[in-house]
Amino acid sequence: MPNSESRRDFLKYAGTAAAAVTTVSVAGCVGSDDDGGGSTLESVTVTQGAFPDNLDPVKDNSTPTYNVIDQAYEPFLYRDKETGEPTARVMDEFERVDDSTVELGLRDGVTFHNGDDCTTEDIAFSINRANNPDVSEVAAVIGDIDEAVAVDDTTVELNLNAAVPVIFRNLGAFGRVTQQSFIEDDSIDATTEMNGTGPYQLANNEEGTFVEYEIFEDYWGDEPDVQTARFNGRSEDGARVDALEADESDVISAVPPNEMSSIRNTDGLRAESVPSIRSIFLVMNDIKEPFTSVDFRRAMNYAVDVEAIIESALEGFGAQTAQPTLEGQNGHDPDIEPYPFDQDQAESLVEQSGFAGAEITLDVPTGRYVGGVNVAETAAGQIDELSNVSCEANRRDFGTLVGEIFAPEQGAAPAFYLIGWGVPTLDADYAMRDWFGPDANSKMANDEQIEDLLEQATNTTDSEARVDLLQQANARARDQAYRVFLHQQFSLYGIDDRIAWAPRADEDILVEEMSAAE
Amino acid sequence: MQYGRFLLRRVVHSLFVIWGAATVVFLLRFLTPGDPVTVLAPPDAGDEVRDALRQRLGLDEPVHVQYFEYITDLMVADFGKSMEVLDRSVLDWIFWTRFLRSVELAVSATLIAIAIAIPLGVISARRRHTVSDYGATLFSLGGISTPNFWLGLMLILLIAVPVGFIPTGTPGPLLHEAVGDLFAGDPGTLGDWLRFMFLPALTLGTYFTALITRLTRSGMLEEIGKAYVKASRAKGLPETLTMYRHVLRNTLIPIVTILGLQLGTLIGGAIITETVFEWNGLGQLLIERINARDWTMIQGIVIIIAIGFVSINTVVDLLYAYLDPRVIDE
Repeated sequence: MPNSESRRDFLKYAGTAAAAVTTVSVAGCVGSDDDGGGSTLESVTVTQGAFPDNLDPVKDNSTPTYNVIDQAYEPFLYRDKETGEPTARVMDEFERVDDSTVELGLRDGVTFHNGDDCTTEDIAFSINRANNPDVSEVAAVIGDIDEAVAVDDTTVELNLNAAVPVIFRNLGAFGRVTQQSFIEDDSIDATTEMNGTGPYQLANNEEGTFVEYEIFEDYWGDEPDVQTARFNGRSEDGARVDALEADESDVISAVPPNEMSSIRNTDGLRAESVPSIRSIFLVMNDIKEPFTSVDFRRAMNYAVDVEAIIESALEGFGAQTAQPTLEGQNGHDPDIEPYPFDQDQAESLVEQSGFAGAEITLDVPTGRYVGGVNVAETAAGQIDELSNVSCEANRRDFGTLVGEIFAPEQGAAPAFYLIGWGVPTLDADYAMRDWFGPDANSKMANDEQIEDLLEQATNTTDSEARVDLLQQANARARDQAYRVFLHQQFSLYGIDDRIAWAPRADEDILVEEMSAAE
Repeated sequence: MQYGRFLLRRVVHSLFVIWGAATVVFLLRFLTPGDPVTVLAPPDAGDEVRDALRQRLGLDEPVHVQYFEYITDLMVADFGKSMEVLDRSVLDWIFWTRFLRSVELAVSATLIAIAIAIPLGVISARRRHTVSDYGATLFSLGGISTPNFWLGLMLILLIAVPVGFIPTGTPGPLLHEAVGDLFAGDPGTLGDWLRFMFLPALTLGTYFTALITRLTRSGMLEEIGKAYVKASRAKGLPETLTMYRHVLRNTLIPIVTILGLQLGTLIGGAIITETVFEWNGLGQLLIERINARDWTMIQGIVIIIAIGFVSINTVVDLLYAYLDPRVIDE
């Protein structure tokens, strides 16, 4: 690895000298915000591992896409950085009227980047568009909404087909505020042009390569400290780190665990990690032998040394899990303990299951999860060490594997595979519904008790009762061992020291939260 | 007249090749695992949503109906719309930025190969069994053996990161933008074009440089042993004239053919280089669309690459026929 310290030292001293000469002339242009935030930064470049195909906010429900478009497009509500609870954003009031109706209040002074005022008709249109499966990627997850209606100049009413107790969380995660006339204008391509309400407006867009933003002067909120922002993508992990070290990027995401120390040792850079909203686990398809046996499934949990995997394959960047819902997410049960590593117990349970001598294959998706292949192959190796089970890992293309997982019939899915699941709503319902619910699209477990608990939770607006139901569902999933619970993925970032920014647990990257380091 | 018939034969042949490529890529959809709708639909989508998407994409029609519509649309240059980004036209996505990036990269790599390989091959042939010859041979063996992927990453690490003004990746301005700015009095854009193009073109061109060096050397050695060279020397012609006007010229005819073939391949085949340098050309777009199971885009890109490949080779064939009229009768 080349030593970039001498070059950085030169740049540092040259920069100091230049700053000394020009300090007086620029002093009036650089300063702190009135609210005591950091000083101004001219520009920031953020490089992710993936880059969106298009800029329409309902066409892609993935974190890298949201990180790019969320500088210009805002969600209806948002979430507290620490607690994950719904907070105001474009809508500054939100209230449940009854089991099937909620009301949202539009704040004053919200303007689109083209200068038009944001109206309640625009809000209703945006929600209905996000809820339309013909055009929206998030229609199936935003909630069971019948229709959004603009009641007056400040109020939007949502009529729901079910209680949807997480509707406010969903409105903080899915769908963005867009202008009806902008979207409906046939002469405008919403996949390459943007007109949002956010603190930044689109300055330049080279499709598939980069997006550049500049400050939107009429933003309803505080002016950000960063004047311009640029987002691009580098799919190769090593090349992304090289871009950071070569000063082409200021913030990079999805840093490979083995590169974290390299970044830490580079002058002028720092590496940061934060537990993410994604958990990684091995799914056991309960209609395929030997995973039809709860004893065998429990044995798989005892056979895998998760702590060792985190230390070796992930270099310590991970936290062991014991249930489908992560710590900090609504419905997590803090009293559930993870399965301990115990090979003797595992072998005993395999004998008890009646499937001693089973030969199983663990399907491993490639190119998707941080250290995913290493984790899966290590776990397969640990299971293979049992005297009465043979296990081998089989690498699979992620897209093909997903196609099988989400096929209508459970039998089309593999018997045993690694997968990750992010929970942008920070709620157990999203964590579990698609795996355990009665109409789950990736159903791998047939458990009426869990289905019943999830259904009850869906129709309960009493938050305490709902949390209790979700905790019971988590406990049941752990007890019946429908998964081999592995770890909570950590989000790893490389950051230039000139930027003051703390990564978020929900993986959002908002340039408005960045400022110049002291 | 003969040349006209030759041209017509080549064009008809090319059309058949393009039709064959279009048919193969159409049929591949049914042979590869995974259902496009399952990948394209939201993960939580129910059967109703999937069926609606299947209908919208025309995937509910019988195979022969889909094929007929596909071929008839192609005949009027209608490549359809992306299956994933439903409002975006396939041709709009390909042209012009992605296409031009790949063409510029391929041409630049080829020019590097020509500029380095031919002089090196000539030197190696003329100074056989000397240090120069051994050095050129070692270089060409190394160039052929080095994986593109590794070479690109090493160049980024060893040149881009320490040097600083050579970018680690992502494309710079397009050439026509750089030339336009140059004529407007701003050479900076051309400088940027050169900076951004340097490493990707060097990476992609290394293998072909090595290959052409070997071919030039062996072709020169074969020609040097022929009787006309002896006669030329016996007549008292200067050695330089013999080598460059006669020997090299005869050597270059097959090399031009190979360069044409390689150029056609490079336009759509520089996937690894484009991925390493995030070049956003056709190769990278093809990979992205394959991962997304976006079959209309995949079909469109493959057909465009096939058209490019076939066109370049047709031009090369015509050029070859012009240089050596004997091939017209073959």
